[in-house]
Amino acid sequence: MSVSAPTSPLSDSSDEPLTAEPQAVPLAPDSERRKARRTRAVSEQRLMELAQGRKAVLCVDNVSVSFDGFKALNALTLILDAGELRCIIGPNGAGKTTLMDCITGKTRPDAGSVYLVGHGEDLIGLSEHAIAELGICRKFQRPTVFQGHSVFENLELALAGNRSVWRSLFGRTSKDDAATIDATLETIGLEDARHRPAGALSHGQKQWLEIGMLLAQKPRVLLVDEPIAGMTHAETERTAELLVSLAGERTVVVVEHDMEFVRNIANKVTVLHEGSVLAEGSLDEVQANPKVVQVYLGAGHA
Amino acid sequence: MLATLRRMHTPRGWLAVAACALVGLVLIPLLHGALPPASPFAVSDRVIALLGKFCCYALTAVALDLIWGFTGMLSLGHGVFFALGGYAMGMYLLLAIGKQGVYRSNLPDFMVFLDWKELPWFWHGFHNFFFAIFAALWVPGLLAYVFGYFAFRSRIRGVYFSIITQALTYALMLLFFRNDTGLGGNNGLTDFKQIYGWPLALAATKRMLYVSAAAALLVSYLLCRYIVTGKAGRVLRAVRDSESRVMFLGYDPRKYKLFAWTFSAVLCGLAGALYVPQVGIINPSELQPSNSIEMAIWAAVGGRGTLVGAALGAFVVNGAKSWFTVALPELWLFVLGALFIVVTLFMPDGLLGAAAKLLDRRAPKPAAPAGKGA
Repeated sequence: MSVSAPTSPLSDSSDEPLTAEPQAVPLAPDSERRKARRTRAVSEQRLMELAQGRKAVLCVDNVSVSFDGFKALNALTLILDAGELRCIIGPNGAGKTTLMDCITGKTRPDAGSVYLVGHGEDLIGLSEHAIAELGICRKFQRPTVFQGHSVFENLELALAGNRSVWRSLFGRTSKDDAATIDATLETIGLEDARHRPAGALSHGQKQWLEIGMLLAQKPRVLLVDEPIAGMTHAETERTAELLVSLAGERTVVVVEHDMEFVRNIANKVTVLHEGSVLAEGSLDEVQANPKVVQVYLGAGHA
Repeated sequence: MLATLRRMHTPRGWLAVAACALVGLVLIPLLHGALPPASPFAVSDRVIALLGKFCCYALTAVALDLIWGFTGMLSLGHGVFFALGGYAMGMYLLLAIGKQGVYRSNLPDFMVFLDWKELPWFWHGFHNFFFAIFAALWVPGLLAYVFGYFAFRSRIRGVYFSIITQALTYALMLLFFRNDTGLGGNNGLTDFKQIYGWPLALAATKRMLYVSAAAALLVSYLLCRYIVTGKAGRVLRAVRDSESRVMFLGYDPRKYKLFAWTFSAVLCGLAGALYVPQVGIINPSELQPSNSIEMAIWAAVGGRGTLVGAALGAFVVNGAKSWFTVALPELWLFVLGALFIVVTLFMPDGLLGAAAKLLDRRAPKPAAPAGKGA
């Protein structure tokens, strides 16, 4: 495969085919890693090594997590390109949710780093709310909207902006903010429900509201955990459209089990197994990959 | 400005607030001061002192509701902040006695009794009325801030939070019981004579104290109402409903909790400071865990998450208490317990919620909950 000259990871010179095999990126030398951990600074060189000339937005660099000796993530390296819609699949216990937890600051890994391109620091060690403020937003499996708040208030809380107590006490909702909320309501198709309490929405509507809340945060990276669990067929289709329309401007990562849904939306799929990346590519490619078949169907089918 | 007022109350709500303020701040003082005591409409000294006390309780209940009803943290230690405010005022009142004490000394009586030669360091400044009022606000506020900082940083929530607040009030009670603490030990601070040059026995002083308490209640209620109807209030309710979600939205819930918690403590300190000159004593029994629990009962009985309900609950429960403890003193605790159980089982939204439900059933369109000030 032709690797374009590694310029800066920020550059737009990505003509790399999307179906690239995952390449093992070797660890940086010990001394450099120790220095990086001390300063938490992102080394430009390391980013370039990881990005391999692609227009990366988020780099997960050799992250390992273990719970009581069980390795949930094992030196996992994952590069997310700007504007892509990536699906992450894998059997139960492959580390999908743990990966999300590490990126969003819920779980602190034992080793490794997470870089957000443009932010000069390792994200590991930042608190959840600080990471969210940097533009990495997460949607949980179960819809978690504020049931007692109206749809409008839910979006208002999510709106990007100053989140200090002072501002909330004395600030006011500007016309721009109201316009953003209106636009978001339109995107998620809940204009008519604007003043209904979120608790009164249907399951699918709650999921969309939550996606709308993530949009209002103006995220750079959107992490979506099993968005269609428990949805009707029509709701699933609507959700697929919504997710596809969201990618491009932002990077969307979807964790999902439903292969049909994945086929509908994804142009690139990452398969996790035992805490590391097993395969990466289009859905057809990874489904044809003997390693993947073995993991999913057992040793006899390889 | 107008938008802010509109957001705080509906026009009908404002009318109700104004009506309550008129009754509480104008009518009742007039009935006390302007009518001859023999008149059937006159408000007696005893009643106005009682009402003043209730206003302080209601202020405490409103403060508690801010953090329990809106932020979801049940404090069973708000007696601490109330008592600290009370002690700050008590220290001023005790020093204001001057040489009129039993021992004719510059030092308060209990210090003479303990054979102390000079004021402990932390008593300095309390000769000044305004210094004492200020201390009644910042001391509880600072304690709440430090306590809250560590509690919220350790992510202590729910029943664990309630338990450590209860432990806090118990620990402080033990501390204040000691003579060495320098705050009158067992007996606390009492035998006050005057406040800001006014003899406490005077009817006019009683009236003034009542008016200050009622005004403090009104202003605090409006402040809390301002907070909970604004964006900060929506964040606080969001923290109550799902703290982790708030965090993933990019807010730091600890800061919001700390703000509400500290503000609530400051209001409680104010209530304590207004309470002590009216009852004439402050002692460690105010720090008993049961006192703090009773405060939570006021809010629960009236209806939490409404502010008005909490104030109403404080008036109702304490009104019942002062009647029962005279008429059937041995029954009061049973009545209180029964009241709490009945309200919890049958009126989850408290008296106010039950009243609103009744109104709803009668009127075809939903009635806006009325606001109530003093």
